Amino acid sequence: MKKYLLLAVALILVGAMLVGCASESTSVLDKIQKAKKVSVGTSADYPPYEYLDEAGNKTGFDIELMAEIAKRMGVELEWVDMPFDSLVAAVAGGKLDMSISCFNYDEERDKIVDFSEAYYTTEDAFVVTSAFTGTITEPEDVANYKVGVQSGTVQDGWLTDNLVTAGLLPEANLSRYERVDQAALDLANGRIDVLMGDYVPIQALVTQNPDLQVVYRGVLSTGPINIVLPDGDAELKAEVDRIIKELQAEGFIDALALKYFSE
Amino acid sequence: MDFGQFISYIGSGTVYTVGVTLIALPSGLLIGTILALLYVYGGKAAARIMNIYSTIFRGIPPVVLLFILFFAVSKGINLSAFWAGSLSLGVVSSAYQMEIIRGALLSVSGDQLMAARAVGLSRLHAIRYVVLPQAVRLAIPPWSNEAAIVIKDSSLVYALGVPEILRRAQLIGASSQQYLLAYLSAAVIYFLLVSLTTRLLNQLEQKLSIPSNP
Amino acid sequence: MPKPILTIKNLTKTYGQNVIFQHLDLTVNEGDTIVIIGPSGTGKSTLLRCINLLTRPNEGQIWLDDLEITAKGTDEDQVRQHIGMVFQNFLLFNHLTALGNVKLGLTRVKKMSDEAATEKAMRELNRVGLADRADHYPGQLSGGQQQRVGIARALAMDPRIMLFDEPTSALDPELIGEVLEVMRQLALDGMTMLVVTHEMGFAREVADRIVFMEKGYIVEEGSPDEMFNHPKFPRTREFLWKITELYGKKEKEAE
Repeated sequence: MKKYLLLAVALILVGAMLVGCASESTSVLDKIQKAKKVSVGTSADYPPYEYLDEAGNKTGFDIELMAEIAKRMGVELEWVDMPFDSLVAAVAGGKLDMSISCFNYDEERDKIVDFSEAYYTTEDAFVVTSAFTGTITEPEDVANYKVGVQSGTVQDGWLTDNLVTAGLLPEANLSRYERVDQAALDLANGRIDVLMGDYVPIQALVTQNPDLQVVYRGVLSTGPINIVLPDGDAELKAEVDRIIKELQAEGFIDALALKYFSE
Repeated sequence: MDFGQFISYIGSGTVYTVGVTLIALPSGLLIGTILALLYVYGGKAAARIMNIYSTIFRGIPPVVLLFILFFAVSKGINLSAFWAGSLSLGVVSSAYQMEIIRGALLSVSGDQLMAARAVGLSRLHAIRYVVLPQAVRLAIPPWSNEAAIVIKDSSLVYALGVPEILRRAQLIGASSQQYLLAYLSAAVIYFLLVSLTTRLLNQLEQKLSIPSNP
Repeated sequence: MPKPILTIKNLTKTYGQNVIFQHLDLTVNEGDTIVIIGPSGTGKSTLLRCINLLTRPNEGQIWLDDLEITAKGTDEDQVRQHIGMVFQNFLLFNHLTALGNVKLGLTRVKKMSDEAATEKAMRELNRVGLADRADHYPGQLSGGQQQRVGIARALAMDPRIMLFDEPTSALDPELIGEVLEVMRQLALDGMTMLVVTHEMGFAREVADRIVFMEKGYIVEEGSPDEMFNHPKFPRTREFLWKITELYGKKEKEAE
């Protein structure tokens, strides 16, 4: 719900922006280079992509990747933490220069922001507790149970479009959560039967909690993950894409994946 | 992560919580007092406008106003998350405070105003020197309630990314999987802040109270 | 030649359809003590409130000395400085001490310095016999004491005329005497007073003239002797007889 409210607000202001401020077309890249600083949004509640270490500092796959990108852009990196739901609207509204937070491509989001080239590819997973007695062989089977998902994610979109709208999953049986760890709690205490999410953080949960097991893994809603960029800024996108390609070619990203995603 | 680091990470959000409160509460008081005076003494037209103001800002969930201010309004004026959040909460609080002060002003009998005018005081002076001092004393208990609410509502700015107590508890909880400890810690800090504030306001009330023989 | 301090001509006051009083004429000369009597709800309080412009009459005129105070553009706050009012419910400022109550008009209206105001206020409190209660709050004073502070508060402004709106009606019987005594002394000192009251003993002893009002009209007015002993109108006689029975007789028995 919040996701749609924010998208609506963001659409209004982007509309106002296009109508009223035609003169305001300074590239964000210019702004970043002038200030020698890039402000990047993330929601550090999503291990192992972005989370806090023992000292309370941000760490994780996305975090380290972005640090390297900023270094190669020759600017200082300023992290801005926000709830996941608010990040896209913040980039669209010019409050952030960009955002990295395990974003998948999404048509709705594309209306108001742009996406970089994919820097990694993920999968979806369904996870249950050991108390689960049902059967899930095909993804659509989850429609028979109570499902939880993080609000505003592509998994949320997939469940809504493919199961709820299709009439397979009653709306009341789909629970949306602000964060994955909230959903995991409800999974543990039986309020939901199945949690759908990104494979990597779910796997991190499973490692910590032997009671959980992944019952399905595949590419449904996810796939490539991208950095979210301001809409229409071709120069910034070109620069970010260039660096991503560089890092892929050097094997930097693979090494990072090894560090954070080994099972 | 050891307990000390854990607590201090969450605790370091206190400065933001206090900061938001220290902007929202006094600005709400200033605006609320002016509007309350207009409501009670400004005539029918003013009263109608104030009523609309009160209905709107008490009728919207504060977090909605936060989003409107941060994402929409601050396109023209660049407001940081902290200021957008604090000012939104200040506006919402001003509506509630206006009602509190209005109630207090009305509780001071209209006869007090009449007696003041009979001595020759102008309407303005009568309100200022006779009605307001009595209204202030009547307003303190409900105001203390509002102060507690603003301290707790300050947590809403988490939605804009201000690193206050609640947001920190969320992050550290999710990162360490120790949610219960994280949220309990946050609860304790809020509790301490509210207790301290209430105690101070009680002392103020005692200090200002007018002596009488029961 | 007695000089009129207050002149009222053809005064009418209505609230919607209700006529409170109409076509009233009244003159109060310097040094007079005029007592207004009559059944409750006949507009006596409203009349006093018209005189100090707390309410505006619908028709008619009022002069204070030579100034027509009902004229458009009159500075009402200014006028009220010269008319003292004492209320049935005392209406002391609850957040101020007795001294504070009496001082407020002096510092905020007459713009006196704090020392001068304190000095004057203490003199007035002394006059009503409450100098030793100067630092007490209204909540710490008896009804009679509160009313005396109310009188001191009005006197401090050095008014041309003092209006008393049933000053003892809200007091316990034991406390009435101390207030009436202050008022009696004021009259003796030459203050011009207009008093609405049910206290017949006071009326008979202290008033220069008694005015009987009923149903928004002045039925009769005259000296105490005239009114009590040879009233012209049967209604006057009837009312005074009834009320003397209630209040006056008790006084007679006390003598």
